[in-house]
Amino acid sequence: MVKKIAPPEDRRFRDTFTRWAGRVRRRLALERVLTGAAVGLAVGAAASAAAWQTRHGALRPWMAAGGALGAVVGAGVARRRRWKDGEVALYLDGRLAAEETISTAIELGGRDDKDDPARAVVITRAVDVLEKASPKDARPSFLRPWHAAIPVAAAAIGYLSWIPLPPAPVTQGKPPGADTVQIADLKGLEKIIELEGATARDPEQKKRLEKLAADAKKLRDKLKQGAEKREVQADIAKLKDAITAERLSLGDGEQRQGLESALGKLAENPDMKDAAKALGDRDLVQFDEEMEKLANKLEKADRERAKKTLEEAAEAAKKQNAPDVAKALEEQKKRLEEQAKKSEKLRELAKAIGEGLSEDAKEALKDLEGGGAGGEEQQKLAEKLEEALGKLTPEERKKLAENMKKQASQAEGEAMGEGPGKQQMKELAEQLDTPEGQKRLEEELRKMAEEPPAGSEEGELQKRLEDAQRGAGEAEGGLGGAPMPMPMAGQGSGGKPGNGSKPGGGKDGKGGKDGSDPFAGHSEGGGPGDHKGQTGVVDGDGVKSRADARVNKGKPMPGIVMGRTAGRAGDTANIQGTGALGQAAAGELGAIERSDVPEEYREQVGRYFQPK
Amino acid sequence: MSSDFEKRLERAREASARLKEAIGEVIVGQGDVVEQTLWGLVAGGHVLLEGAPGLGKTLLVRTIAGCLDLRFSRIQFTPDLMPSDVTGTNILVTAESGARHFALHKGPIFGQVVLADEINRATPKTQSSLLEAMQEHACTIAGTRHAMEEPFFVLATENPIEMEGTYPLPEAQLDRFLLKVMVPSPTEDEMTEILARTTGGAKPPPPRVLGRDEVLELRAACRDVAIAEPVMRYASRLVRASDPGTQGAPDIVKRAIRYGAGVRGAQSLVLAAKAVSLLEGRAHVSFGDVQKVAKPVLRHRLIRSFEGEADGITTDQVVAALIEAVPSRPENVEQAIRR
Repeated sequence: MVKKIAPPEDRRFRDTFTRWAGRVRRRLALERVLTGAAVGLAVGAAASAAAWQTRHGALRPWMAAGGALGAVVGAGVARRRRWKDGEVALYLDGRLAAEETISTAIELGGRDDKDDPARAVVITRAVDVLEKASPKDARPSFLRPWHAAIPVAAAAIGYLSWIPLPPAPVTQGKPPGADTVQIADLKGLEKIIELEGATARDPEQKKRLEKLAADAKKLRDKLKQGAEKREVQADIAKLKDAITAERLSLGDGEQRQGLESALGKLAENPDMKDAAKALGDRDLVQFDEEMEKLANKLEKADRERAKKTLEEAAEAAKKQNAPDVAKALEEQKKRLEEQAKKSEKLRELAKAIGEGLSEDAKEALKDLEGGGAGGEEQQKLAEKLEEALGKLTPEERKKLAENMKKQASQAEGEAMGEGPGKQQMKELAEQLDTPEGQKRLEEELRKMAEEPPAGSEEGELQKRLEDAQRGAGEAEGGLGGAPMPMPMAGQGSGGKPGNGSKPGGGKDGKGGKDGSDPFAGHSEGGGPGDHKGQTGVVDGDGVKSRADARVNKGKPMPGIVMGRTAGRAGDTANIQGTGALGQAAAGELGAIERSDVPEEYREQVGRYFQPK
Repeated sequence: MSSDFEKRLERAREASARLKEAIGEVIVGQGDVVEQTLWGLVAGGHVLLEGAPGLGKTLLVRTIAGCLDLRFSRIQFTPDLMPSDVTGTNILVTAESGARHFALHKGPIFGQVVLADEINRATPKTQSSLLEAMQEHACTIAGTRHAMEEPFFVLATENPIEMEGTYPLPEAQLDRFLLKVMVPSPTEDEMTEILARTTGGAKPPPPRVLGRDEVLELRAACRDVAIAEPVMRYASRLVRASDPGTQGAPDIVKRAIRYGAGVRGAQSLVLAAKAVSLLEGRAHVSFGDVQKVAKPVLRHRLIRSFEGEADGITTDQVVAALIEAVPSRPENVEQAIRR
């Protein structure tokens, strides 16, 4: 607009106005630059504070760059919103009280109509106004109240960059186990549910087993819906506790005295020390195997003595009002008889075949006569004999039958227990006499080879409980945590880690001698099986104690110390507990309720310390 | 060129001073009324003076007319006044030769300074007889259009319409007046001076200080006064804001005004502002000039609503609110000036 003004007065006005406009625009731009810097620094200070708070220490000083960035943005805005000549003229008119002289002059100067009568007068007056005015009068203030943020924010950034970072915040996540788990079918629970069909010792145990199965089903349904992990873990722990309690229920409580009497009787027979230990441990599977070993023994007298011992033990248990223990012992006696019969039959047959036996069969016979590992030797020998019989020609078979008849007749009049039983020999001879009989015998042997000898009722129940216990462990593992190691009879022959329900054999000189050592340990499912898991009977007179303590003579310590049920409240090395915790420590009554144990675990902890 | 307009401005200032001095010899006080009447004279518009009877309205007009070397005529408006009494009529005249013909008998409207005294005492029909003359400076009688002799300047007086026997002026008639000047009651000192001057011996009439050519020269100079676009825009914004239908109109306008000023109002605002500038010796119009003339220019152009009348809101209050509400400069410039 100003360009069109013609000289000379117009040019004078243009020059003067341009000078004034430059001053005004510069200061306005400066104001915007400072405003931008103030905003940038304020944002930078906030960001610096955030960096300090979040411990991003290196970023803090860089936030001052926000001020420079803001200033650049402010300069950009100032450029975009640069005042036009008209706006500057209006501003100057207002500040110099020029009654719009300058604005009118700007407009007239820009018009093509140079003959406007008022033009020259207005422009001349505008020049006068501008020339007479002091720059101070029309200087726009570029400082605004918010520009105070520049030093304040800069100082804040400096301070925040200087002070040390705050300590790392303590993260407070969810309490352990508070997360929800949802599993359609948790593996392992089905083994507990299977307890429903297990044969129970009595109706009460049946009810308990059914309840265990029902609880497992309930837990499975709960998991389908989704539940807190710790709640599920607590439920599984309850199930495990109940299964453990069930495993150790034989001879527990009121029948304890009877069990201990029976154990005492069993321990009197050296051949039955292992069996006594197994029963003491409530390891009835092991007890079954020990009985099988005895049944396989060569000497009839040994077997008879074992039967007698079992009878006496059962009697002692009955006297001490432990019918379950007595029943279990009587059943073992029957099993011993049956097993002994089978072993004898196999042995006689093997001897009759004589040189016709393979080397494996001879080895199996040797193992069987040595007591072996129980049913396994019997199975092995049965298998070898079946093979040997199958290879016999009809002539050989006839010859074998005749030999056996002869031996049976020679055996007549001999005392029982010194040689093969006459009846057994006769039966075998008759069976071998005909091809049909031989077939029946082969069939019988095959059956013996394929099927291990049936365990006792208690042993079978214990196997199922152990399965259920393993299932509970699997379920625990399935929740994502490491399953709690459960104490179970293990196998640890030759110093190798035990892996199951077999007793530690104690071979290679590390355990007892060929399993005969009554102190041979058992594995807890993970360690070598040769540690001494149970003390023997301690002769009090031979033990020296500085404390001059009286040792509880003649009573073995519990073989499995589970910390839950084996010992009774008050049990120590030399004092037999009464099981009455309330009497022993009356002040501790209700201690769990008063303690800071979380509500959800109180029941479990309570059961843990519940006196039997 | 520069010196020419400077001289014209100087002459205008001098003429204004002379006229004010001459009027001041007769009229006591009423400085604003005299000033505003001169704006109308210079801007080439007509002026309506409103005030109670006996405040010197007629005397003021007669004095102004007396100071100007122009033909003066007076029309006393009464309820029975007929339009032809204002405009004149053709009458049958007999020539010396005996021939008869119609000759125009011009009415008082054909004066150069016309005093329409107590204009609101006549019926609207008679009032409207002034319309053509005021707007077009011409009068049509019996189909023949007769131009008025310039300068043509109507000065009307009216009593407040609340007074008995008055007819409110139609809006179209009011719009023809450039300014509506309110005549206030004199102060005690002024009243005393009036008594001293009017109750003694007869005074000589005021001197004729301005001739026809000088008035026309003033009017031409007024049109040549420059006005910047922001000032014109301000006048436009003021007028537009007086319309209650306009977005951003002040609340008082929305509440109290039925019709706002129109284009003629905006033209009058600028012309009156130019007259003010000229009489003050300036070659351009300022925002202040526009604000100065806003009340006399707009007060008779704003038609109050029922609510406005019921609440007793005067148009002067509305104009004051408009000046307050409508910014003269852009907001960013205004803020920078205030800092």
